[in-house]
Amino acid sequence: MKKSVIATAVAVGIVVSLGGCSASSGGSEGGTVELVFRQFDPANQVEGLQTAIDTWNADNPDIQVTLETLSPDNPQQFAREANSGSGPDIQQMGYANVALLANPNILLPLDDLMASDPLDQAYDDFLATDMTTIDDTTWGIPWTADTMALVYNPAVLDEYGIDETPSTWEDLADAAQTISDDSDGVVQGFCFAASSAPTSAQWFPINYYLWDHGWNLVEQDGDEWTTGVSSSDLASTIDYFSEMFSSGASSTSNIAIADYADPQIAGALSDGSCAMSYEPPQSFRAIESASDAELMTAPMPGGLTDGSTHLGGRALGINRNTEHPEEAWEVVKYLTSATTFETYQQYPASKATLTDIDVPESEVGYTEQLPHSVAFGKYIGSDMPLATIQQLVVQQFSAVYSGQSDSQTAAEAILAGIESGIGG
Amino acid sequence: MTVELDMVTDSAPARSVDPRRGRRSERNGGRRAARREPYLLMFPALLVMAALFLFPAVYNTVLAFQELTPYQSPGDATWAGGDNFVALFTNPATGSAAFNTAFWLTGVTVVVRLVFGLALAVVLQSAILERWRVRGLARTLVLVPWMVPPVVAVAAWRWMLDGNTGVINQTLVSLGLLDQGVPFLAQTSTVWFAVDAIIVWRELPFVVIVLMAGLQSIPKEQYEAAQLDSAGRWQQFLNVTLPNLRPVITVVILMTVIATFNNFVYVWLATGGGPGTYTQVLATQLYSTAFIGNDLGGGAAIGIVMTAVMAVFAVVYLRASNTVGKDER
Repeated sequence: MKKSVIATAVAVGIVVSLGGCSASSGGSEGGTVELVFRQFDPANQVEGLQTAIDTWNADNPDIQVTLETLSPDNPQQFAREANSGSGPDIQQMGYANVALLANPNILLPLDDLMASDPLDQAYDDFLATDMTTIDDTTWGIPWTADTMALVYNPAVLDEYGIDETPSTWEDLADAAQTISDDSDGVVQGFCFAASSAPTSAQWFPINYYLWDHGWNLVEQDGDEWTTGVSSSDLASTIDYFSEMFSSGASSTSNIAIADYADPQIAGALSDGSCAMSYEPPQSFRAIESASDAELMTAPMPGGLTDGSTHLGGRALGINRNTEHPEEAWEVVKYLTSATTFETYQQYPASKATLTDIDVPESEVGYTEQLPHSVAFGKYIGSDMPLATIQQLVVQQFSAVYSGQSDSQTAAEAILAGIESGIGG
Repeated sequence: MTVELDMVTDSAPARSVDPRRGRRSERNGGRRAARREPYLLMFPALLVMAALFLFPAVYNTVLAFQELTPYQSPGDATWAGGDNFVALFTNPATGSAAFNTAFWLTGVTVVVRLVFGLALAVVLQSAILERWRVRGLARTLVLVPWMVPPVVAVAAWRWMLDGNTGVINQTLVSLGLLDQGVPFLAQTSTVWFAVDAIIVWRELPFVVIVLMAGLQSIPKEQYEAAQLDSAGRWQQFLNVTLPNLRPVITVVILMTVIATFNNFVYVWLATGGGPGTYTQVLATQLYSTAFIGNDLGGGAAIGIVMTAVMAVFAVVYLRASNTVGKDER
């Protein structure tokens, strides 16, 4: 008797435990559909989004949405959950990750939903649709848009006689050098995160520099993938950034920093010990609000040339395991509408909504640059994941900064790594 | 065991008409039940161990011969034969990562921890701290780094070691020892010393605690006998303390080697494997391969190799701990 009681208790425990595995997915209770929307931005950046969700929940008692924050972005976690039959109903995705998640075992193709219940604006009127449509299937809806703009402390530029923000990479190097020299090295002309960590933010200016000079790390030529830059041109790019350190225009301490919003960079911009850097909009706002000094943005060097800067942002996808795809689609439509962006302080990926929003003067760099930015889509599709290319590139650049390698050797290592990776 | 047999026999129902045969049958059944009982009692524990240890180990071994990304379900894996191992051993980065793991990450930090740990344990055990009534406080302070989560410890050290605003550099510059700050984590000449300093600071208390326990177990009579033989403090340390501590030191070395060899957190959070690939270790290479390169099979192959190396240490550890146990008996 005792044995059977214990066995029953164990069995019940196992069943209950396993049942908990799918608990994060939404359900239906008493006619009310409950959905889970997971996003990955830090909690202090989504207060406006929570307000928008609260508004939805107040207006739609039959479809209640819970906002779940899992920061930082972890697409592999979502893939694991979706592959095992669970996960949130609606998932926020970085543009570059949509291709990794574009799998019918993970995401629900949205074409049928879009055809039966169209979005408020045409799908083609969104930015970055090349990142969310793969092999003619729509796996996500572009939601927000961002890019890296030049962030500067105008008082510092004034002090060292820099009248205009640099519009070319050569101007940037000259201005940074002037500031550093004239301040006896006390002020960094250009500070940037230059570590070899896989997510190192130096990835962005490296590509901006390449693209502005007409080069690409990876290019698609018909069905073939090739490298799009010669070893000498790539070496000259490495030299450009390496000289920032050797000339003193940027502190060598930055070689240990991975994040563009690292406190060392944010603090230096605020206290005037760094004249210029680059940030996406959300980070800029966080730094600006914490700073006593006035901070401004401008387009990056070459930023007003089409295709010289990247278009980043988030897309929305629906979990293939959701029990309520139509209701989830209703929520996606709401999130991409102008109503959401009345409280959610992000740049919308909808071109029509983007032109309607009011932007503070300090953010003019983003609004001027965004129409010229392009997504990283041109690097996606080969056998080499974007993150692997990024890791290879930042490691080799960082190896030159720290004196482990010379620029030519590093450039050849990057190209050899890419050539072996893109071919499969 | 007799009691258990009786209990089983008493509770077993009679099934035979022949009383002698029935008693024999009952006795045999009771013996069988008694023989099964230990296995039945061990079964839940074995089941848990199999689920938590055996299954992951077997699955990881299978994975090492497969091609699978983190975005696929296990059913989508394809067989890769020995390709993952070939790729690992032909990758030029593997050699430097293995050297960094064995020398900088493990060898240096274990030796430094042992030397500092022994010195601190002796100091904390000394009569002078007892006389000043600060022994308890000193022991508590030594434990502080161990209470700090590794993530927090590395974040704090990164700030302190920053070349521009770090408190260490600012102090050295203000004392006139440096003209300008040194970016400890950004240059190859200093980065491993900085990483090792973080590891030693955070992990030293474990060594101190174990060695202090060893010191407390040394009979005072041995020191008294040494004093009668006119042995000085240094001679007492060499001829009494160290020989008595040798089994404990052996176990400490093996435990810290095993714990450090597989460590991922310190290097990854402090340097990300950089500058360049200068501080890449096997654990960070495993992570990069599996989760940045989306190659779970390649990562599993690295894990197999690391496990094989650690298995050698584990065997040595088990033998050493058995020896310590026998010595104590």
